[in-house]
Amino acid sequence: MTVLEKLREYANTDRVALINRDETLKYSELDRFSDIFALYLTERYPGDKTPVVIYGHKETLILPCIYGSLKAGRAYVPVDITVPEERVQQIIDDVSPKVFVDFYELNIETDAEVITQQKLKDFFAGNTELNVNVEDNCVKEDDLAYILFTSGSTGKPKGVPITCANIENLSRELMPWMETSEDGGVILNQISYSFDVSVVSLYMGVSRGMTLYTIDKDIQENMGELFNHLESSDCAIWVSTPSFAEICVPSARFNQSLLPKLEKFLFCGEILTHNLVDELFSRFPNTKVINTYGPTEATVLVTAVEVTKEMADDPLQIPIGYPLPEVTFRIVDVDGKSVPSGEQGELLIISDNVGPGYFKRPDLTEKAFFVDSETGKRGYHTGDICFERDGLYYYCGRMDNQIKIHGHRVEIEDIENNLAKCDNIVRAAVLPVYENEKITHLTAFVLLQKPDGLTSLKRAMKIKEELRETLPSYMIPRKILALDSFPLNTNGKVDKKELQKSL
Amino acid sequence: MEEKIMAILNDICGADEGELEPDFDLFEEGILDSFGVISLFVEIEKQLGVKFEPTEVTRDEIKSPALIIEQVLRRA
Repeated sequence: MTVLEKLREYANTDRVALINRDETLKYSELDRFSDIFALYLTERYPGDKTPVVIYGHKETLILPCIYGSLKAGRAYVPVDITVPEERVQQIIDDVSPKVFVDFYELNIETDAEVITQQKLKDFFAGNTELNVNVEDNCVKEDDLAYILFTSGSTGKPKGVPITCANIENLSRELMPWMETSEDGGVILNQISYSFDVSVVSLYMGVSRGMTLYTIDKDIQENMGELFNHLESSDCAIWVSTPSFAEICVPSARFNQSLLPKLEKFLFCGEILTHNLVDELFSRFPNTKVINTYGPTEATVLVTAVEVTKEMADDPLQIPIGYPLPEVTFRIVDVDGKSVPSGEQGELLIISDNVGPGYFKRPDLTEKAFFVDSETGKRGYHTGDICFERDGLYYYCGRMDNQIKIHGHRVEIEDIENNLAKCDNIVRAAVLPVYENEKITHLTAFVLLQKPDGLTSLKRAMKIKEELRETLPSYMIPRKILALDSFPLNTNGKVDKKELQKSL
Repeated sequence: MEEKIMAILNDICGADEGELEPDFDLFEEGILDSFGVISLFVEIEKQLGVKFEPTEVTRDEIKSPALIIEQVLRRA
């Protein structure tokens, strides 16, 4: 696997792979530690290929676990601390791992061997001579490299596995976009590992011998600290969702003098708005803005485009880009027929970047994935409504109730189903609230079984507390309002258009 | 001014009038998060013309309605 070969190459240099607050991890250390982890897996569980689940946030020692798993031929399943214990349990039950690396020592029921942060430190402290045969043991071709769990409409997370071949394809196609004027340099490491945009830093950044500069959750919560870290990162490539840049925009400090070496903004994961592009163009005159698009199912991203002045001035939305060289797009109508250029339809992706389907869910896989009869390549129904003009693609919205909130992919039904499980709630409807093309927050309406005598805020706090046990924090609605009755449409379903009016 | 600030805060938090106690810890109670803070600054600037440099205020300085009012008045 390219990234593992490159890792070994850079291990012979003095380069730093990761900066995490006051900790640094050199390429030589990352290579050695991941060898140790790989050796542990292969010796302790010979012949086994069960994925390794890693629960944590941005801890330095997560990286050796990721590359160590790959070196040992295992996929890894990164689960961020925003995921509450109950969901972690569901993921563990789904994956049935042999090894569970748990940085936060949760109370999880599992037959897996649990490896704590302390145990990892003990592993890596050893100084014995290693002889790890990476080439023979590492993940190859159709072996799974990682499984990411995303929001599922049933109220339980669903796994999206991606193969080594998928990543190798993406690497080849994305590398030209990662060029910078200097060899090495710094790339931001801000995106949670359980969100696939982090793959850009983990694979392409490391393959270029770059230094990953970590911005963790706590840093982001304190704007003063965040800006001090951004400044000291001196990064050349900024990878994030547009939302993260939008958090920075309200500060006057967010400009080229904060990040003089910044050559590229690479955005992925949600709509890039005109507002943000205008701000970045005026504040960062020397930095290119690159927009990309892609579903997790087709390996991170399948388009890219450098946003030009013309695109910024065009009243049309900012394009999601051109398909990468080996990616074919087809836009189809409800009957599956291709629509003429300029017309909207569902976007289908046909490419070797399309993953194998949902983890242990052949029913869902069959609905969304297909094999293209013309090319024999795998295809995926994105559920995204797009149109094409002059070879450029534009995103218009979803065919279902999936939304992006601050870059997180969320099925509205996932929230509604978990709300309905809360005490004293009969029914729930969740609505996104928009401002300037983007969702700023969610509002939930609930129907109570019986009056609870609580004030609005007290009730909302009680419900939120319950929700925190089942949902990641970004899925919890900002406002929760109780109604005496729900407006229904002619089909007897909750009339969301009517509810929308009361927002 | 104080009433207007409270109206903005009530709207962002989904609280009824008079429900938010002055010393209520909005972060601790899960009422406000980073994105809520941005909405708050945006609305305060839009409705009251008071601008915040977000890097100059810590969470502790705006964790309760009373503190938020104090910070806004100081800049007004």
